[in-house]
Amino acid sequence: MSDFSSLAELVINGNYNGAKDLTQKLIDSGADPIEIINQGLMAGMDVVGVRFKAGDMFVPEVMMSARAMSTGIELLKPLIADSDMPSAGKVLIGTVKGDLHDIGKKLVVMMLESAGFDVVDLGVDIDPDAFVNAVKEHSPQVIGLSALLTTTMLSMKDTIEALKEEGLRDKVKVIIGGAPISQSFADEIGADGYASDAGTATELCRNLIA
Amino acid sequence: MGVGSSHGNGLFFRTLTEKQAEEIHLASCQILEDTGMVIHHEEAVELLRQAGAHVEKGNRVYFPSSLVKKALQTAPSRVTLYNRKGEAALHLEGSNVYFGTGSDTLNYLDPFTFERRSWTKADVANAIRICDKLPNIDFVMSMGLLSDADPRMINREQYAIMVQNTEKPQVVIAEDGATLQDIIEMAACAVGGKEQLRHKPLFMIYTEPTSPLQHPKESIEKLLIAAENGVPSNFACGGVAGASVPTTVAGALVQANAEALSGLVIHQLKAPGAPFVYGYGNSPLDMRSMQAVYGTPEAVLFQGGAVDLAHYYQLPSWGYAGCSNSKVCDEQAIAESTMFTLMGALQGCNIMHDVFYMEFGITGSLELLVISNEVIGRTRRLLKGIDTDKESLGVEAIKRVGPGGNFLGDDHTAKHFRDNWFPDLSDFNNYENWTADGSKTMIDRARDRIKLILETHQPKPVSEEVKAQIEEILRKAQEKFGGKF
Repeated sequence: MSDFSSLAELVINGNYNGAKDLTQKLIDSGADPIEIINQGLMAGMDVVGVRFKAGDMFVPEVMMSARAMSTGIELLKPLIADSDMPSAGKVLIGTVKGDLHDIGKKLVVMMLESAGFDVVDLGVDIDPDAFVNAVKEHSPQVIGLSALLTTTMLSMKDTIEALKEEGLRDKVKVIIGGAPISQSFADEIGADGYASDAGTATELCRNLIA
Repeated sequence: MGVGSSHGNGLFFRTLTEKQAEEIHLASCQILEDTGMVIHHEEAVELLRQAGAHVEKGNRVYFPSSLVKKALQTAPSRVTLYNRKGEAALHLEGSNVYFGTGSDTLNYLDPFTFERRSWTKADVANAIRICDKLPNIDFVMSMGLLSDADPRMINREQYAIMVQNTEKPQVVIAEDGATLQDIIEMAACAVGGKEQLRHKPLFMIYTEPTSPLQHPKESIEKLLIAAENGVPSNFACGGVAGASVPTTVAGALVQANAEALSGLVIHQLKAPGAPFVYGYGNSPLDMRSMQAVYGTPEAVLFQGGAVDLAHYYQLPSWGYAGCSNSKVCDEQAIAESTMFTLMGALQGCNIMHDVFYMEFGITGSLELLVISNEVIGRTRRLLKGIDTDKESLGVEAIKRVGPGGNFLGDDHTAKHFRDNWFPDLSDFNNYENWTADGSKTMIDRARDRIKLILETHQPKPVSEEVKAQIEEILRKAQEKFGGKF
């Protein structure tokens, strides 16, 4: 087995200590950092993605695999120019104004990160202006808005309006989610997509970026 | 001796107090001694007479309480059933619980045409194949009466089908002693000889008195053959409360217990120490429809009492689970069968049968079987109770995750989430994903599963040699009947 496939295997097994050690070993032996990511760490996560979808792996195991991948990536980051860093895309995410719920949003963040997305999590109770400023600062391809309450979900519309006013609406895809949200609400407020769970949200981001 | 069932980590259940168990025991002994039983079997009457029983009118036998005491001393408190490979499969002891199907339903609810029709040999073979695959079905019974077999040969033919389509142990019904002898022969072929079969029994025989207080010739004949051959046996009255046993739960227990104990006495006189599984059933008479119904609250309580008496006597226990009165596999079927399964498990009934019975046992449903397999899975998890060791308490994990954190990404979750129960047939998807999968209900998924198992699962066959020996036993039996019916 090559070192790259051993590394992929460590990621699949969620062995984050092993993945860290082998990544370091590969760096020391002079392997190309981009190849370590693509053929080792990401190759492992690709298998994890397939197994998760088939129901053979479960979320906590995916989380361990994602952790194994990111321990490796942390070591490689300083060696790669930001622009060369392999990524499935950049997603900005937050719970909208007036709402402090974040377990569902955290699940989405974890699933996105484990699928190789670069995620900026703004946290909870984020007002439309804060989303606008963050879009300007991070230039994400997708922005995800989360709400648990029927009273706060209305702020999603305000956020989309604020993006329009700033001329940012066509530069970013807006997706929404949360217990009271539906596809029809997404259509109504002019969002680009809705996902009913964290797994579907990952698929949705992939499709919107592709 | 104590009543009640101890499951995992302190989970405990009991129906009777020790004092109640004793009251029932004494009442049963009083019935045995004062009222006695009519026993239509000469050898059994003679055995009892010689042991000190009082006999009147040739077959009315009055049992001194000392005979009961003696039988309880010689009967083993544990019985093991083995699979066809000779591995110990069912340890009938303590609070262990095992589940299996029932025998001899008249009708098969065809899961594909939805017809209610007679069983064929092919249907029974398919049903046994499904049992072979389902992980929570621990033993099989004959499922259905064969419409395409010689009516005198049905139990032999059923056994031949069972033993060739699953390696799991069986509980067997036999028309009479000669049938039981042939079944012993077939089982012996499958496990490598009679001595091996005695050493590691592959099946248990179900025999029964005819309540109230009568023992038919065939039942005793089978009981004695079983005792002699080391085949585990029960002697389980199928009481109908309000008709063949009293309508009160306690009264039904007193009489059924007396009948079971009388069987035990005869069994132990024939072969002291032979394996006996204590238990009986009760299907109370519904006073509107005049049907003997399964799984009423009183029937379930009755079983709890019976199992506690088994614990009181330190005998393995026999009972029911997963059965229903409904005509189709509907909400009533699942409500009744699930309640019985869960309660039977909590009661600690060692070997529970009739999983898949519908319509008071007249019809069998494979959908109910497959759904019950899932219900039993849930139940088995419940019986493990709450583990409170250091690792399970998770104090370190709680500290690590802290306020506002998330356990999903923590090692503790990854390490332990698989200890929890996982659905196999139940749907845990959200609405969108459920509709994307075809909006299937539980019974749709059960039918899909039946289809999948039938398409893909082949049980381990017996060798060609064993197959030929079984065919020869059937042929000889047919010959004794003077050819075809």
